Amino acid sequence: MTLTAPVRVDVPLDSAEPTKAPRGKRGLVMTLVLAVVALFWISPLALLVITAVRPLADFIGNGPLSWPDQLTWSNFKDAWGIGNFATTYKNSAILALIKVPLGVLVSAMLGFALAKLRMKFRRTVMFTVFLGLTIPIYITIVPVFIMMRSAGATDSIFGLIGPYLAFGIPFEVLVLQSFFRQLPDEIIEAARVDGAGDWRVFFTIILPLSVPALVTVAILDAVATWNEFLFALILLNSDAHKTIPVGLLNFQGQFANNNTGLAAGILIAVVPILIAYTLLQRWIVGGLTAGSLKG
Amino acid sequence: MATTVALSKPKRRGRWSPWLFALPALIVYVGFLVYPALSSLWFSLTNWDGLSATYKFVGLDNYLKMPSDPVVVTAVKNNLIWTVVTIAVPTVIGLLLAIALNGKVHGKPILRLIFYTPAVLPLVSIASIWGWLYNPQYGAINSFLRLIGLDGLAQPWLGQDSTALWAVMVPAIWLRTGFPMLLYLAALQGIPNELYEAATVDGASKWQQFWNVTMPSLRPAHYIVLALSLIDSFKVFDMIYAMTYGGPGTSTQVMGTWMYFNVFQYYQAGYGTAIAVVITLVAIAVGIPYVRSQTKEAS
Repeated sequence: MTLTAPVRVDVPLDSAEPTKAPRGKRGLVMTLVLAVVALFWISPLALLVITAVRPLADFIGNGPLSWPDQLTWSNFKDAWGIGNFATTYKNSAILALIKVPLGVLVSAMLGFALAKLRMKFRRTVMFTVFLGLTIPIYITIVPVFIMMRSAGATDSIFGLIGPYLAFGIPFEVLVLQSFFRQLPDEIIEAARVDGAGDWRVFFTIILPLSVPALVTVAILDAVATWNEFLFALILLNSDAHKTIPVGLLNFQGQFANNNTGLAAGILIAVVPILIAYTLLQRWIVGGLTAGSLKG
Repeated sequence: MATTVALSKPKRRGRWSPWLFALPALIVYVGFLVYPALSSLWFSLTNWDGLSATYKFVGLDNYLKMPSDPVVVTAVKNNLIWTVVTIAVPTVIGLLLAIALNGKVHGKPILRLIFYTPAVLPLVSIASIWGWLYNPQYGAINSFLRLIGLDGLAQPWLGQDSTALWAVMVPAIWLRTGFPMLLYLAALQGIPNELYEAATVDGASKWQQFWNVTMPSLRPAHYIVLALSLIDSFKVFDMIYAMTYGGPGTSTQVMGTWMYFNVFQYYQAGYGTAIAVVITLVAIAVGIPYVRSQTKEAS
């Protein structure tokens, strides 16, 4: 889980910045400079796209930095089949669909207990859970591997759910409890007076009021789950059960001499996450920054 | 809460009800993170090979062996270089980009989108992309050098000891610049304009304004960027594994990968976990101030 950036969330940052109208020559020069830097920054991905849509002979004949003479979709067809992407896509998707909602729910419950219920040893629990942010995955791989082997859960994406949940919880709890804390106690008190128990308060008041934070946490968690590599590497061994990152690594070995096919394969692996990022960036950007800078 | 009846009811419920909410997450957390981490402590004191049914307790032998293992020495050095470079460079570039983006610039949303894009990609795919760019024959990087007449600089970037680690750090920088940029951008937008106006009235130059207004206001952002980058940098594994597999030779091994190789290639699970324990303890020690600040703030 590499993407977890544990900061607090208030509400998604509104993407509309305060309108300082960019006027004058300096603004134009700065824009130009930044545009060049951005072009350079995105050039690895741009090259990847250009290479993926040209025939191999064209790539070798004209070199990697040339404009393609011919365009083709066949690289994608080859890469899709040989890379076993139909299977790895399915596995990664099933994993994320089970893991993310489950992780967000249990983290929200713990976050609620820490933020709004009088719980004994609250500070100790918080410290212990947040400490998980600092623990590298590899300290746990040997015991996790043994546990999964004795449970017969190696080589199954379901064996990944437990470890993935455990490594996602610290970040999710950190963000959610700080969001819950900002919800006014008066609303909860009012519901209590009306006879609502903790569960009703949680499901009918806390969760509906926290949709922005829940969505942000779910998105970041989905990205981390989709990208996780080490647990998947040690626990999955048959092709039928691999996730996208492990599948991509195998694929990379097989296509070492087929540059255009390799480019197409990499692109197949990253396109869903790029599309999701572009569509949901308001939530990601806002979630990573808003509220983290107070004090 | 006027009457004692109203007070005592939620209080009694309060004793166990919070734990019903807390337990699912805590059980998973303890079962799959705390317990495995602690049992690694135990394995690190044994000579277990990772396969046999039996093993012996060997005390601190695995730890005492480490200083004389040349690969551990390399790995520690690489971890240090990795930590310094992949924190310093992304932070500085991120800050510069944020300052530029905070000025009078067109197309801010799209620029911000572009600079953060690498951060959402799977590490393995970033490794694939850059491995492909670094390809000695058909890679874009050598082709570019030849194109601009620097043929002499074209070289097998990932295939030689002298450049391999640095070549792996470039994509790491590429990927890790987005986060400081976003954080600094949000922080810069929070600095009240009056501060700059007052400084201008006092005759402060742009340079003085940067050091006396901007930088001090960014202190909380510096703290978060530094803390999170530090914690993150000790976890390095995916990128090295997928790009160089620790090679050529063992020149790009870091503690995380060397631990993995010992456990899964050389069948020295005891020794491997000892390596993991060492780096984890460092990571925890470095991370504790941040963890404490997050715990304190909340109460």
